[in-house]
Amino acid sequence: MLDARTLSRLAGARLRARALMEGVLSGLHKSPHQGQSVEFAEHKEYAPGDELRHLDWKAYGKFDRYYVKRFEHETNLRGHLVVDASGSMGFNSHALSKLEVAKALAGALAYLLVRQQDAAGLTVMTGGHVAELPARAAAGHLNALLSRLEELPAQGEADMVAAVDLLAERASGRSFVAVFSDLLDESGVGLQRVLQLRARKHDVAVFHLVDPAELEFPYEDPTLFLSMEGDARMEVNPREIRESYLEEFNAFLESTRRACAEADVSYERVRTDEPLDPVLLRFLSLRSRRRGRR
Amino acid sequence: MTFAHPWMLLGALAALIPLLVHLFDRRRPRPVPFASLSFVLRSQKRSASRLKLRRLLVYLLRTTVLLALPLALARPEWKSESVAGALAQGPAATALVLDASLSLRFSDGKPLFEKARARARDALARLSPEEPATVVVCTREAGAPPPAGFDRARLRNLLDEAKPTYASVELNRCLEQALRALDDSPLPARRLVVVSDFTQGSLRLEASAPTWKDAAGVVQRPEFQLEDVARDVALSNRALVDLKVLPAVQVGPRAFQFTFTVRNFSDAAAKDVQATLKVGSQVVAKGFVDVPAHGTAQKTLTHRFEEGGSVVGEVALSPDGLAEDDVRPFTLEVPRELRALVVNGQPNPTRYRDEAFFVDAALTAQGSPARPALRDVDAAFREDLSAYDEIFLLNVPAPPEDVAAKLREFVEAGGGLFVSAGDQVDPDAWNVRMGPLLPRPLRVVRTAAGRDDPDADARAERFAQVDDRHPLLSPFTGEAREGLMSSRFFKYALLEAAGAGEAQVLAHFRDGAPALVAARRGKGRVLLFTSTVDRDWSDFSIRTSFLPLMHRTAAWLAGSLDEREALHGRVGETLALPAEASAKAASAESPSGETVPGQRLDSGALALGPFVEPGHHAVLDSGGKPLPGMVVPVTLEAGESDLSRLGEDALSAWFGEASVKAAAASAGPSPVPLWSWLLVVAAVAFFLEGLLLRK
Repeated sequence: MLDARTLSRLAGARLRARALMEGVLSGLHKSPHQGQSVEFAEHKEYAPGDELRHLDWKAYGKFDRYYVKRFEHETNLRGHLVVDASGSMGFNSHALSKLEVAKALAGALAYLLVRQQDAAGLTVMTGGHVAELPARAAAGHLNALLSRLEELPAQGEADMVAAVDLLAERASGRSFVAVFSDLLDESGVGLQRVLQLRARKHDVAVFHLVDPAELEFPYEDPTLFLSMEGDARMEVNPREIRESYLEEFNAFLESTRRACAEADVSYERVRTDEPLDPVLLRFLSLRSRRRGRR
Repeated sequence: MTFAHPWMLLGALAALIPLLVHLFDRRRPRPVPFASLSFVLRSQKRSASRLKLRRLLVYLLRTTVLLALPLALARPEWKSESVAGALAQGPAATALVLDASLSLRFSDGKPLFEKARARARDALARLSPEEPATVVVCTREAGAPPPAGFDRARLRNLLDEAKPTYASVELNRCLEQALRALDDSPLPARRLVVVSDFTQGSLRLEASAPTWKDAAGVVQRPEFQLEDVARDVALSNRALVDLKVLPAVQVGPRAFQFTFTVRNFSDAAAKDVQATLKVGSQVVAKGFVDVPAHGTAQKTLTHRFEEGGSVVGEVALSPDGLAEDDVRPFTLEVPRELRALVVNGQPNPTRYRDEAFFVDAALTAQGSPARPALRDVDAAFREDLSAYDEIFLLNVPAPPEDVAAKLREFVEAGGGLFVSAGDQVDPDAWNVRMGPLLPRPLRVVRTAAGRDDPDADARAERFAQVDDRHPLLSPFTGEAREGLMSSRFFKYALLEAAGAGEAQVLAHFRDGAPALVAARRGKGRVLLFTSTVDRDWSDFSIRTSFLPLMHRTAAWLAGSLDEREALHGRVGETLALPAEASAKAASAESPSGETVPGQRLDSGALALGPFVEPGHHAVLDSGGKPLPGMVVPVTLEAGESDLSRLGEDALSAWFGEASVKAAAASAGPSPVPLWSWLLVVAAVAFFLEGLLLRK
């Protein structure tokens, strides 16, 4: 399912979380938490509230002052991939539908996570309900995850709120959450809930999938547009409303981008007619830079 | 609203096409599943009112295009209700009478005739298709018009080809002809559309208006529709109505004075009207003349020609609205310098007693047309007479037989001979040898009074009757006549009552005896003076009239004084050429190159004409070549220059009050052609429709 050229380009890339994550799996990711250390890091003068068990009595003997030991632990990352498989994600005016592109991107990220011994989980929204594959770091789990993705059809509506609620309930500690969706939720509540995950210290990235036909509205003759998630239909003369449609759609894209930026959520707009490897590379390098700043 | 091509209105049904397309367009839109349908819905809602308005506009614009095009092709015109009402008289067989007289050449920027043509075309276009029509272009020579028919294109061609003439026309005759041309129409009404400027000369009001008889034999008046093209035009005009060309002896030989009369037909005085005298194409004199309102003024321009010969020229005023009558053409035979042989019959060492002293002095004075050669009798009779144009025999004894024969030959060939009496003149000998040449045979010498008699002044003879109609004596009128009439004659020769040929007594003495007798012999002329030209028998030679009379005598004898002036034609008339010119002439060529036909009269003379335009007409021989010196100046009729218009009362009395009122109504705003505006509307609608669709 994954494009071989994309995978070969990504083999040297290292996925780094934007912040230090809690976890137990040692690896490339540094934890922000001190205490359960296997490797001494530094001393800190005691202050009320510090655990007494971390007092370095030898140092007290030498300097007659209380010092607390601090340790540096290596932790593992828990990545949750949230894929929208609603009917609208099946829209395809080009080689790949939005869902197919979402599957490719999610599969590639899962492969990278597992390859560096991080846990990868999958949450899908399809047909109005939410299904979950818990996060694991086992190699066999990757196969199951990819299989689940491969079988995923585009149908019904996406219940983003339920998916985020489930994720918030299951994700212990800080996690990396990548959402793949076209975000065509008229109420906008789903996106708000995704952005709230960031408030709970999760590292959130939104991959906004857009078809070129949605961006350009290239229809000329009178057309009967059919809804992909219901029975709605609309007969219009595309030439008459093109200008108005493009205004509306671009405003939607811009408001989504701005909301993500304000919530400190990574936002990647993905055109389904673009090569995917530059998208992933751009995303990963951006995350690497952001981590460096922290 | 009227339509030139009403059948084109059927095309207006095309305006239904947008509606029909809207109602019956059953094309099904292509179904397309689309992800962002919510945005399509929102856009559609947002644009709904705008789209509805735009669709309505597009529909209206398309309908406008499809409606305006056939309407424009139908060539609509808008007329005010009053005009339309005036014209709504029901179908009638119609004849359009277009006045083509000289006065229609008046122009106030646009020639009156062009306005008349346009009005006639409009009137033709207004006729309904079921009305038969004909056109009469009213000229002096207009023949019967074509019978009324429905071929509008042919009538339009007739109007397009019509030209204004240079003559007056008689509308009465044209109206009669027009009405007769409608005789075959089955329609119960007749209409005459009269397009004219209605000047005084256009209509004879004393004649009755034309009538026709309907099927029941009842006499009917036709409906008159008057198209007055000069209602709003100030027809002010002045014209050159007369031109006299006379030798200006006082200025010099070959000098002429051109006296012309300018008449002002308008209500305002004309100041400083420039007049120019042109010879050939060169302006040789200029002057200015003031003419009072409805008055005349005379002006004289003088010009001295350098050499003799035939001259064509014109006197012209600065042009006004009717420029054609501001020019007066003329032709002139300028005499060449004449050679005169003066034969002195009684020479005298004392100059003032010499017989030829006064004649020689007169002919050598300024202004003399002749250059004299003074000879005594013996020397003169040995001269080659063909070297002279004229011979003055002053108190000469009867010439010998051979000389008399030479003199006869000289006169027959065109020479001029002046004979004066005296003591040397023996009547019998003269009658024998010179009888055939003398206007009348000499009889005896009569003595009226002795020069030294105390009552000589009372008894001396004087001129009593002078024929001032003759060119020789025409200047001697008024004060000039006094010098002639005061001359005293103490002796003179009496003449026989009749001679060898025709003779004309130009002056008599108080006792009835002839004093001056003229005659033509062959091609030449002879003038006999029955007294002396010195002071022996009279004191005429010291009178003021002597010198001009000698000058005119010299000119008249050579045939260069007056005959050519008679050659003058008028537009619309024919001119009979003089006998000598008629022999070779066959036709003439007008200034515009048209041929003026010549007709041989029973007398053998050639009648040229009728002339149709003014200006110089070259007389042509049978081969079509111009005859040298034969040019006929043709002038206009003076009456056509009077552009004063017929009053409404007069027109109402003749045409009927209703027709005149309708004419006044139609003289308002002219019909407004709407088709060009409709084309503009269609083009704008087409452009806007494209603009809306592009958005």
